[in-house]
Amino acid sequence: MMLAAIQTDESLWSLEWLPRLPQRLVEMLLHKLGASEWFVDFGGLLAAAVTVVAVFLGAFALLSLIERKTLARVQNRIGPNRAGWFGILQPVADGIKMLTKEDIVPARAEKLLHLLAPILIGLPAILALGVIPYGREWTPVSLDLGLLFFFSIGALTEVSVFMAGWASGSKFPMLGAMRAISQMVSYELPLLLSALGVVMVTGSLSLPEIVARQEGYHLGFLPAWNLLTPWGLVGGLVFFIAALAESNRSPFDLPEGESEIVAGHMTEYSGFKYALFFMGEYLGLFAISGLGITLFLGGWQAPLPGLEFVPSWIWFFGKLALVIFLFLWIRATFPRLRIDQLMRFAWLCLIPMALLTLPAAAIWHFTGRGFLSWVVTVPLLMIPWGILTVIFNKRLAPATRTYRFADS
Amino acid sequence: MIALFLLTILVLLAALGAVWNARPVHAALLLALALALHAVLYLMIGAHFIGLVQFMVYVGAVAVLIVFSLLITRPRDEEEEIARRPRTLGVGLLCTLPVLGVLLHAVSRFADTGPVATDAPAISLERLGTILYTTHAPAVLAVAVLLTAVMIGAALFAREPGKKSSVSPDP
Repeated sequence: MMLAAIQTDESLWSLEWLPRLPQRLVEMLLHKLGASEWFVDFGGLLAAAVTVVAVFLGAFALLSLIERKTLARVQNRIGPNRAGWFGILQPVADGIKMLTKEDIVPARAEKLLHLLAPILIGLPAILALGVIPYGREWTPVSLDLGLLFFFSIGALTEVSVFMAGWASGSKFPMLGAMRAISQMVSYELPLLLSALGVVMVTGSLSLPEIVARQEGYHLGFLPAWNLLTPWGLVGGLVFFIAALAESNRSPFDLPEGESEIVAGHMTEYSGFKYALFFMGEYLGLFAISGLGITLFLGGWQAPLPGLEFVPSWIWFFGKLALVIFLFLWIRATFPRLRIDQLMRFAWLCLIPMALLTLPAAAIWHFTGRGFLSWVVTVPLLMIPWGILTVIFNKRLAPATRTYRFADS
Repeated sequence: MIALFLLTILVLLAALGAVWNARPVHAALLLALALALHAVLYLMIGAHFIGLVQFMVYVGAVAVLIVFSLLITRPRDEEEEIARRPRTLGVGLLCTLPVLGVLLHAVSRFADTGPVATDAPAISLERLGTILYTTHAPAVLAVAVLLTAVMIGAALFAREPGKKSSVSPDP
């Protein structure tokens, strides 16, 4: 099927197809060598996987620098500026440092599990990155059940965090793993529920299909993204907050709260294994932001009419950069939550709001997605939100703190 | 076919390990491995939806629940566990042998019919959902009510008597 397309393809070198170039070159080469069709497909998939991993590892290196620079700007510092021009070589220096560091395994650790945990932690993120549609022509693996695959493979993260925490054989990793797992389990619910609204309206679990359904513009200029509907706005916000918690980002970074439990489940790791945890966390961040963009921000769709001439994957990565910047901004702005506040917020605010987006999405679908739908769904979502806001601000607000030993 | 058999052997080994291992955490992780390999088995025979749901529910929820309860309780020591082994083995066999007998009986009833060549079931996800929420809606509702009751019951049990809220006041 693919082979015929390759032979008569003049769009091979166009910008839109650029990310697929390695895959197609490998396919062409194998085909010329007379390999069987199965082998050609396999080689192509391998090249596509290598492309995705290379792109996101590069992005990870870049982000580790940009994050430090951004935080430094916000906190009125300079940030890394020694390695290379503006500190551009800092990721390389960090990499060399991490690789050459001694790998210390505590005497009381479970050796095998301790080794296995950092290997397993990056796996779900890399697998999840494989199903996201990055461009009109660039979906590394197009699955019918892409969304389900994304969430089910994410289950592996919890198991590997547990392995890391338990196998280290000391108390801080154990406490960190407990915090991490309880947080992940609690916030996976709103994450899933807010994504379900999109599935209901699209009628498909396939991620490329979900993006394709968000094509077009309202009133000639407003993109028809899911975020610009009442249920989509609420769902998108819930998804964003839950994604912050799922990827252990500030203000939900309790599992590795430095001032409380050293580095959580990563305390007993050093050198390259620590770098693998770090990498897994950032790849997970990319994956979950990519999913959020696919579900609510129109994936690779251009934000304004007339801008379709720009290759679609550039729009995707532009949106990704914007979302990641939001993550950094929030990290630089908000203090860390306490564990009871965190749990209360998930169960009393996010899950009810995520549940409400489901009837709202259904009503939206059955009232024709027009003016009437807005009139019905906006109050349906606004009134409970208002009630929740009052409850959180009045009844559940933290009491004024009195410091027993400082005040008297 | 060979791959399927190898995978089945792996599943059995992981399951046996989960039963036999004296360290609760290792047993839980091996159970998670067995359940994950089940999901791979489903994926290999083409039941993609079941396979992914198996992974999400059993590895993501059930295994994590077991692991989490291990974290917040203090499991028995390894030596004590091994000392108790003869007793637990007897009770375990008493419980599992009747189940095995029933299963073997059920399988043997169909053994002489031989493999039946059928077309791949042409049931789509959409059709499955429609059947589940129209024909079998009462069953789904009954399960939902049951689960809600279980959840409320668990919350009631977990709550300390006499306390108004389980959330501790601010220090």
